[in-house]
Amino acid sequence: MNQLAIPLERHCLDNGLKIVLSQDNTVPIVAVNIWYGVGSRNELPGHTGFAHLFEHMMFQGSKHVPKNKHFELIECAGGTLNATTWFDRTNYFETVPSRDLELALWLESDRMGWMLPAMDQEKLDNQRDVVKNEKRQRYDNQPYGDWDQRLQALIYPKDHPYHHPVIGSVEDLDAATLEDVAAFFSTYYVPNNAVLTIAGDFDESQVINLVQRYFGEIEAGAPIPPLPGDPCLEPIIGDTVREHVFAEVPLARVIMGFRIPPYSSEDFAVAEVSRALLGMGRASRLYRALVRERRVAKGVVTYAFPLLTNASMLLTWATGYPDSTPEQLEAALTEEIEALAEAKQSEVDRAIALTETDLVRALEHVGERANLLSMFDLYFDDPDRLNHEIDRLRAVTVEQIRDFATSQLGSDNRAVLVYEPKRKS
Amino acid sequence: MSLLDRTQQPVSGKIRQFDFPEVQTGPLPNGLNLKICVLPRLPIVSVNLFLRAGEGSLVEGRAGTAVLTGDALEGGTLKRSGSSLAEALEGIGARLGVSTGWEGTSISVSVLADRLPEAFALLAEVALEPDFPSVEVDRVREQQLADIRQRSMDPSALASDEVSRRFYAEGLPYARPQVGTESSISSVTRDQIRGYAEACYRPGSGGLIIVGDVDPEQIRSLSGEYFGSWIGSSSVVDNFRVDAQTRERRVWILDRPGSVQSEVRLGHVGVARTTPNYLPLSIGNLLLGGTFTSRLNLNLRERNGFTYGVRSRFSFRSQPGPFQVSTAVGNEVTASAVREILSELESLVIDGVTREEVDAARDYAAGVFGLHLETADQIASRLNQILVYGLPDDYYHLYRDNIRSVSTEEVTSAVRAHIRPDEVQVIIVGDAESILGSVDALELGPLEVV
Repeated sequence: MNQLAIPLERHCLDNGLKIVLSQDNTVPIVAVNIWYGVGSRNELPGHTGFAHLFEHMMFQGSKHVPKNKHFELIECAGGTLNATTWFDRTNYFETVPSRDLELALWLESDRMGWMLPAMDQEKLDNQRDVVKNEKRQRYDNQPYGDWDQRLQALIYPKDHPYHHPVIGSVEDLDAATLEDVAAFFSTYYVPNNAVLTIAGDFDESQVINLVQRYFGEIEAGAPIPPLPGDPCLEPIIGDTVREHVFAEVPLARVIMGFRIPPYSSEDFAVAEVSRALLGMGRASRLYRALVRERRVAKGVVTYAFPLLTNASMLLTWATGYPDSTPEQLEAALTEEIEALAEAKQSEVDRAIALTETDLVRALEHVGERANLLSMFDLYFDDPDRLNHEIDRLRAVTVEQIRDFATSQLGSDNRAVLVYEPKRKS
Repeated sequence: MSLLDRTQQPVSGKIRQFDFPEVQTGPLPNGLNLKICVLPRLPIVSVNLFLRAGEGSLVEGRAGTAVLTGDALEGGTLKRSGSSLAEALEGIGARLGVSTGWEGTSISVSVLADRLPEAFALLAEVALEPDFPSVEVDRVREQQLADIRQRSMDPSALASDEVSRRFYAEGLPYARPQVGTESSISSVTRDQIRGYAEACYRPGSGGLIIVGDVDPEQIRSLSGEYFGSWIGSSSVVDNFRVDAQTRERRVWILDRPGSVQSEVRLGHVGVARTTPNYLPLSIGNLLLGGTFTSRLNLNLRERNGFTYGVRSRFSFRSQPGPFQVSTAVGNEVTASAVREILSELESLVIDGVTREEVDAARDYAAGVFGLHLETADQIASRLNQILVYGLPDDYYHLYRDNIRSVSTEEVTSAVRAHIRPDEVQVIIVGDAESILGSVDALELGPLEVV
C-alpha cells in the first residue's frame, strides 16, 4: 500500500489547548475527541480509582448544561458518545451528524470550563454507586476479574504509579469528596493539559473560529504537578516473580507479563512487532504451537500496553482445557516465547501486513481517527505520526526482535500469574 | 470579542443530504446473489459470503453442527493445511472471519485493495474446498466444549442461557444455546460436518457481498471465475415453531453462591424480524431501554444508582427471538431493581409513549443510521440483512424517511402488542441466600431456585 495520507492541521489556542483538525467529507458525520493528560497514574495514595470516578462526574452536567442533558442532546442529534480512563490519560468523545458539530463543542467546552458549579453531593453519591456497580460487574463478579490488579502489582513496585488498577479500591472510592472533585478539576482539567481533535465532515473556513469561540475564553491552569510516588524503575524486573491463585475459575489460565520499554521509547516498536509475532493472528507462534499443534491451550491472548511512565508491559496469556495443568501451560508459553530468539523475516512480514490491514480498518471510523490523532499529539506532540506508524514498525529488524526476546523476555524479567480452579472439597 | 452567551444551546446546521451508497445487485446463474458497493475512501475491501447454514434449522441432537462446521473451516482445505492457510491469508494481510448464527454462516475477508484477487481466491478455497481434517475437527470441538465450561461460571453467559431455556418451550431451537449443548457437540462426527458443508454450503439463496475500493467489472469477473461453477441450493428451511414455555409470570433464581451482584434478565418471547411493526417497535425499545437516556437507564442508573447500566432489546430473528431487559445490580438492591423494571414495563404499556420521547428516539435512530455507514464492514452487514430477511433492495435508501414517519400512536400500539408485563419470566443469577427473601416478597409469581 502507498503511504497513508490522513490530512491534518494543527493549532494551539492562547490558553494552551492543542487542536488537531482532520477533514474528510465523504460521510456527513464528525468526531469530536478530547484527551486530557491525566489518568490513574496521577492518583495520590488513598485516592485510587478517582480519575475514573471523576470521568463519570464529567457527565453530570456543567454550569449551563443540566444533569443528563449532555447524553440527551447528543443522542437526540443522532450521535454516540462515551469516555474512558486509563493509566496515562482520560478521553471523551462523540461522533455526531456534521450539522451538530457546534453542539458537541458547546458541551465539551462547558464541562472543560464550567464543570464545578454543577457539582453536588447527590451526584457524587449516585455516580459512586454506579462506579461500584461497574467494579462489581466487570471485575469482582467475573472469573479471573482481578488479573490486571494482580499482574500490575507483580510488574511494578509499590510506589510506582502503575502499581494500582484504574478502577481503584472501594475504600478509596468511598473516601472521595466534593473537595477532591474540585481539586482534581482545577489541577488537571485545564486547557493546557488537553488535546482537542475534530475529524470528519466540517467547514474548513469556520471550524477554527468555532473552536476559538467555545474554548478560547477558558482560562489556562498552572503547570501539571509531577507524578506522585516514585516513577523510577529498572528496565527489567530482575527475577521471575509469581503468584498462584486458587479461585472460582472454570479453567486454568497462566498469565505472563514482562516489563518492556515505554511507549515513548523507539524500542517500543520492537516490542509491538515481537508481540505480533507471538500472538497476532492464527499463524502467530502461540496460536500455532499452543492452540493448533500441541492443543494445550484453548486460546491465547497477547498485548503490548502503550504506557508512558518509564516502563510499559507486554502481556501473554494462555487458557487451558479442563485437563491442562498450569505447569503445562507455563512450560509451553515459556518455550515459545524463548524461541522468539530464532524469529524469521517472513514472520515479521506477516505481522506488518496484518497490522497494516488493521490500521486501515480502524481509520475507516472518523472516531478512531480522531482518537489516534489526539493520542499522538498528547503523547508525542506529533499527530502526523499516524501517517508513519507502519513505517515505524516496518523499520524493526528481525535481529532486533531476536535481541528483544533475549534481553526482555527471559526469566530475569518475568511475572507469572497462575489461576487454578479451586479444588472441590 | 463579544462574550458568548453559553446558556443558549447552539442551533443545528442544515442537514446534509446523504444517501445509502449505490449497490449493484444481480444473481449469478447459480443463484448466488452478488451485491457490489464501491466505497473508494480508503484502500480496503470487505468480502462476505453468506450461506444458508444456520443453527435454527438443526434438530436438537445435531445442535452445534453449523457452528462447528464454520469453526473447522480454518482447519485447512484440500490444497493446504490449517497452518498454511493461516500463513497464506495473513501473509497478504487478510483477516478471515467465520460467524455462524441462527440463520446462516458468514465467511468474510477484510484485505487491502491491492491484495484482493489473492484474498478472493483464498475465500473461495475455504468455502468450496474445505478439508475438515479429524485432528482439527477434534480441536475445535474441544475448544467449544471448553467454552461451554467457561460460560458455566460466567454470570452473564449463565443468564443468557437461562433466558433461552425459560422463555421457549422445551426442544425448540431457540430454547438452547446457539452453539449447541455439551452432549450434542460431543456426538457430532467429522463425517456429519463434511456432509453438512456438502449439503448447506451452496450458492442458491446465498449471497456474495463485496464492499470497498473495488472495480465492479473486476469483481464480476472474479466472482464468475471462483464461484461460477459452484451449484446447488442449501437444503435448509428456517420454518420451525416458536412457542413460549408459559404465559404465566414466573421467577427463576439460578443460585451462584458468593456472587457480589445479580445478573437480571426479564422478558418473554418477542417477535420476528419480518413483523410489520419492526420500526415502531424499535423506536419503542429505544426509549424504553435502548439509549443512555432511556426510561430504564435514567431510573436504575442515574436516579437510583442500582447499576452500571441497563438495556432492553428485541432480538429480531427469522422467527420470534427474545425480548429482554438486562442488567447487573448489587445484591441488596436486586428486588428493588426488578420492581422498578417491571413498573417501567407496566407504565410503558398502560400509559403509552409521549410525542417528545418518540421524536427524540426517531431523531436518534435516523442520525445514528448515518454514523454506521462509514466502513466497508458496516455497509456489508446492512446488505447482508437485506439478503437474510428478504428485505426490499431499497430498504436502506428509504430507511431514514420511514423512521421519521413513525407516529406516536404506532409506537404505543406496537409496544402494547409485543410487551406483556404479566407474562415476563424473571431470571436472576446470583447469591440466592442474599436475595431470595426480598425477591420472594415481591410476589411476582411462582418462584423457583435452580
